[in-house]
Amino acid sequence: MFHWLEQRPFFFAVMLFLTIAFAGFIEIVPDFAKASQPTVGTKPHTVLELAGRQVYIKDSCNACHSQLIRPFKSETDRYGMYSLSGEYAYDRPFLWGSKRTGPDLHRVGNYRTTDWHENHMMAPAEVVPGSIMPKYPHMFTNTADIATAYANANTQKSLFGVPYDKEGMPKLGSWEDAKAQALKDAKKVAADMKNQSVKDKVAKGKVPEIVALIAYLNSLK
Amino acid sequence: MQSNAQLEYDYSVVKLFTFTTILFGIIGMLVGVILAFQLAFPELSNLAGEYGTFGRLRPIHTNGVAFGFTLSGIFATWYYVGQRVLKMSLKESKFLMVVSKLHFWLYFITILLAVVTLIMGYTTSKEYAELEWPLDLLIVVWWVLWGVSMFGMIGMRRERTIYVSVWYYMSSFLAVAMLFLFNNMEVPTMFWAGDAPSSAMHSISMYAGTNDALVQWWYGHNAVAFVFTTPIIGMIYYFLPKESGQNVFSYKLSVLAFWGLMFVYLWAGGHHLIYSTVPDWMQTMGSTMSIVLILPSWGSAINMLLTMKGEWQQLQSSPLIKFMIMASTFYMLSTIEGPIQAIKSVNAIAHFTDWIPGHVHDGTLGWVGFMIMASLFHMAPRIFKKELYSKSLMETQFWLQTVGIVLYFTSMWIAGITQGMMWRAYDDYGSLLYSFIDTVEVLHPYYTLRAIGGTFYLIGFLIFAYNMFRTAISGRKLDKEPANASPMAS
Amino acid sequence: MNSMVKGGILLVIALMAATYFMAGDAFTLGDDYINDLTMLGAVAIIGITVFVSLKYINQIKNDTATGELASENWDGIGEYTNPVPMGWAIIFIGTIVWMMWYLFVGYPTNQFSQIGQYNEEVNEYNTKFQNKWDNIDEGQMAKMGQSVFFLQCAPCHGAEADGMDGKAQDLTARMSKEQILDVIKNGSNKLGYSMGAMPPGMASGEGAEKIATWISTGMKGDAPAEFGACSSCHGPDGKGMNGMAANLSGYDNTLLSKVLEHGKKGSIGTMPSFKGRLNKTQVTAVSAYLQSIQGE
Ligand code: HEC
Ligand code: HEC
Ligand code: HEC
Ligand code: HEM
Ligand code: HEM
Ligand SMILES: [Ca+2]
Ligand SMILES: [Ca+2]
Ligand SMILES: [Cu+2]
Repeated sequence: MFHWLEQRPFFFAVMLFLTIAFAGFIEIVPDFAKASQPTVGTKPHTVLELAGRQVYIKDSCNACHSQLIRPFKSETDRYGMYSLSGEYAYDRPFLWGSKRTGPDLHRVGNYRTTDWHENHMMAPAEVVPGSIMPKYPHMFTNTADIATAYANANTQKSLFGVPYDKEGMPKLGSWEDAKAQALKDAKKVAADMKNQSVKDKVAKGKVPEIVALIAYLNSLK
Repeated sequence: MQSNAQLEYDYSVVKLFTFTTILFGIIGMLVGVILAFQLAFPELSNLAGEYGTFGRLRPIHTNGVAFGFTLSGIFATWYYVGQRVLKMSLKESKFLMVVSKLHFWLYFITILLAVVTLIMGYTTSKEYAELEWPLDLLIVVWWVLWGVSMFGMIGMRRERTIYVSVWYYMSSFLAVAMLFLFNNMEVPTMFWAGDAPSSAMHSISMYAGTNDALVQWWYGHNAVAFVFTTPIIGMIYYFLPKESGQNVFSYKLSVLAFWGLMFVYLWAGGHHLIYSTVPDWMQTMGSTMSIVLILPSWGSAINMLLTMKGEWQQLQSSPLIKFMIMASTFYMLSTIEGPIQAIKSVNAIAHFTDWIPGHVHDGTLGWVGFMIMASLFHMAPRIFKKELYSKSLMETQFWLQTVGIVLYFTSMWIAGITQGMMWRAYDDYGSLLYSFIDTVEVLHPYYTLRAIGGTFYLIGFLIFAYNMFRTAISGRKLDKEPANASPMAS
Repeated sequence: MNSMVKGGILLVIALMAATYFMAGDAFTLGDDYINDLTMLGAVAIIGITVFVSLKYINQIKNDTATGELASENWDGIGEYTNPVPMGWAIIFIGTIVWMMWYLFVGYPTNQFSQIGQYNEEVNEYNTKFQNKWDNIDEGQMAKMGQSVFFLQCAPCHGAEADGMDGKAQDLTARMSKEQILDVIKNGSNKLGYSMGAMPPGMASGEGAEKIATWISTGMKGDAPAEFGACSSCHGPDGKGMNGMAANLSGYDNTLLSKVLEHGKKGSIGTMPSFKGRLNKTQVTAVSAYLQSIQGE
């Protein structure tokens, strides 16, 4: 039979494709609906947090940090409660990572604070001697892209039914509303920071990347 | 045996892809070496502002070597092997010639754009699918062009039965097409921006959370399979018998190993998600299928080793044969290492540690890298009609790179296992024994060793590039194409 | 080839020895089956690969190629119609049978659940350490506290507990003058003492300066008269009247458990709450440790 196929490339390709496609079908289809149900209390990110998440992605923090706490005592002692599927229901893309050059960050908001991140992102080795994490001084000057974060949130809301603007959920509204809200949130973060130029920028209505990033890191709980 | 004399093959596209294999190989591996040094000496992460940090550079390395170096190698060898085992020449069809040229140029532009966009921070973060949506669209175009040229060439063949190598190239084409499409389903967000001046490059995944992870690793595992494995098997099935002048040991083994691999590979992706939040049965299936996968993988390797039965003489005297035998040995190493890492209890330690990059580079440096370089070495005298420039440089390169790989994987094995165990260790009072930074500091000597090993490999690759270059411009002219063993000046 | 394999194995052994030397206490064999299995796996990978590839390399060395050729030929390459190697075929079938058995029989009947496994692990941990915690003495308490401190607190307060140049509280001393002035000016009310909130502006100007200097230099000698405004809550000795308000002279158990429960936001910055992240014994232990490093 095999030899017959080898002389008929068309049928060969069809057989091959069926063989290959079969597994994906069995593997992916059955649990697709179930895995995406949000856990009670899971909320979508605010626009400022989404902008921070985009900074996280832009600088590929996920190259070194996971966001997946496995159910081992040694991990829950270090990072907190193991991760649940529903907690990721609004994560597009998921950011589990595949390498822990640095620690897991899925619940870092529980045990690190704004001023700590401020010091750490500026010069990690000065906060954690021996750290091999890069310094990120550029985040203190670059401006976060709130507009794209708004587009991101609005896509989630319009296309995927993510419950923005529902009761008890983050507000989105129009671009003007969202911009004002993001700035308000940014001011709260900046109030806990020390860096004067960051504070000045926020006061002038600009959001440096570091402010958005910290808002995002603080939201990881 | 019919002679090939009447048929003149066209190697112009082969030459173009050979050039990009070397170019992207140098770029990708150089970035790999930089990354390795950055982990040992973190100050190096801050030499180029935001553009030089480890995170920004890492996707350039992985994309550079996988889609720059390896894909170029695959395309170069496809256009070479394809013509020869199908017994057709691109010269015979203007259409296919245009398609394959277009394939090359669109591909080349895409990879250049990939480097630029990644360094600017445009990434979707999904491993091996980092490129943003406009580039994805470009990729679809040239992937289809590759398919057109492949099936066009097959359609024009004079050899009724298609050879093993072609099966493998075909499987890459089909599988990657399917995987790529599903994993890159992403929505550009600019259409929902309202009045906001949002970026046109940005997109979000069609799937969320656990589902996204599921699709990603169904893709990710099989991107490994159909970029780093099957086309490389296709290469060894052609270049080893051809270079050595031996017949393939067993047709039956070729068939069983091929269909076995095709069937089993796709089920194993679950081993990237062990102890995650995907359903348990999927993880278990990934684990068990990974164990089964050893056999079809080893089948091809064994078939190749047995093809060389009784040819010790060749193994000793030809650096080209050495590369290929070493490649199949490393292939065996990584295809038993992977399954063992896929066992749940072992994965509990191995996952997230440096043992995984260790495993990765057994395969990529020892198997993918060696096979691609050996294939290009074999093709060079035939496409340039010149003698290989220097055998002794090939020998030097072989040993330098082998030592480099050994340094790489031994250091990463030990680093990974040490780190994995340190993360789990408790003291006498029931508190975790090590803070995270302890487990980072302990790795410093291993990161340094890996960086040295990587440097050896890179130097070896530069020697390879030099040897190829000199072959093309100043090798002794050959008046007849060598049938088997590639001629090389000592 | 052989000498290379040997060289490689030697290198692995040398590196293993170096690892053991550096971090040996992380893996005592026999303690944790996951560690044991991993080591076994690593040895198996190298062992099987070396063994099998040497077997074939031996054939390359000593055997000869034979067989019947199939009729096809591609660019000069022929194929023998040799049967598949027996050992390979048997193991292949064996793994498939095992896989079928495991997926359809072995696995579902095990009723495996990773959360169940986790719960078991936690139970085992608790039984293992409960006894230890119940019978722990002072010295051991401080030692236990030290290890908790390194893991949980050192990232902010530094391994020396000195606050790393003012990035967090210097825990080898009590509060600095600036911090006290700040509290006097702004009040304090996050810690959840039974006295409730401390109002702002209990002193000002020179008086505040005097109080702050006196407290921050260790409360030696007589309190300045202005401290009267404070002693109604903190007591004449500033020790907080048995936990009614914060102890200003040292880190006692009450202060520490309150800080760990509620976190702390002050002039230096914000400390997170550790509620639910440390158990009771651990809190007492950290407290014992902090007290043991005072005034060194
Ligand atoms: C080269 C690898 C690397 C990259 C890239 C990296 N980190 Fe880290 N990160 C580390 C290491 C190692 C540590 C542990 C040492 C330390 O705390 O500095 C760490 C620690 C951290 C911590 C502290 C977590 C804790 O529990 O103490 C945070 C938060 C963090 N990183 C955030 C980030 C963010 C945000 C980015 C991207 C902008 C990033 N990191 C990029 C390696 C990296
Ligand atoms: C009405 C009662 C009251 C008075 C009067 C008072 N305090 Fe307090 N003080 C408290 C309470 C209650 C706390 C803990 C508050 C909290 O929850 O943070 C506190 C906290 C403090 C702290 C912070 C301790 C820490 O570890 O965070 C300082 C310093 C302090 N008081 C100094 C003073 C000084 C100096 C005065 C007088 C000028 C004074 N207090 C007067 C009730 C009082
Ligand atoms: C994310 C950083 C962070 C971590 C982790 C942290 N702290 Fe703190 N801690 C701080 C900061 C910042 C302050 C100073 C707050 C202020 O007064 O401005 C502080 C203050 C303190 C104080 C003084 C409180 C007071 O009222 O005087 C104590 C005691 C303390 N920490 C103990 C601990 C212990 C014990 C741990 C670990 C179990 C710990 N901290 C972990 C950041 C941290
Ligand atoms: C039988 C064959 C193989 C199996 C069963 C296998 C299994 C595995 C496992 C279990 C992991 C680790 C997942 C994790 O815990 O993070 C992994 C990672 C990886 N393997 Fe393999 N492997 C095999 C062969 C190969 C080969 C031949 C190569 C390359 C030439 C390769 C390349 C990779 C890569 C690149 C990763 C990293 C994926 C990531 O980014 O996390 N594997 N493999
Ligand atoms: C010159 C030699 C090379 C060096 C020094 C090198 C170094 C590195 C480093 C440091 C990393 C990051 C590991 C981490 O995050 O901890 C990496 C990742 C990776 N490299 Fe290389 N590399 C080299 C060559 C190659 C080649 C030739 C390939 C492929 C053909 C390759 C494929 C990969 C892949 C797939 C990853 C991602 C692994 C993962 O996510 O687990 N590398 N490399
Ligand atoms: Ca990875
Ligand atoms: Ca993409
Ligand atoms: Cu895989």
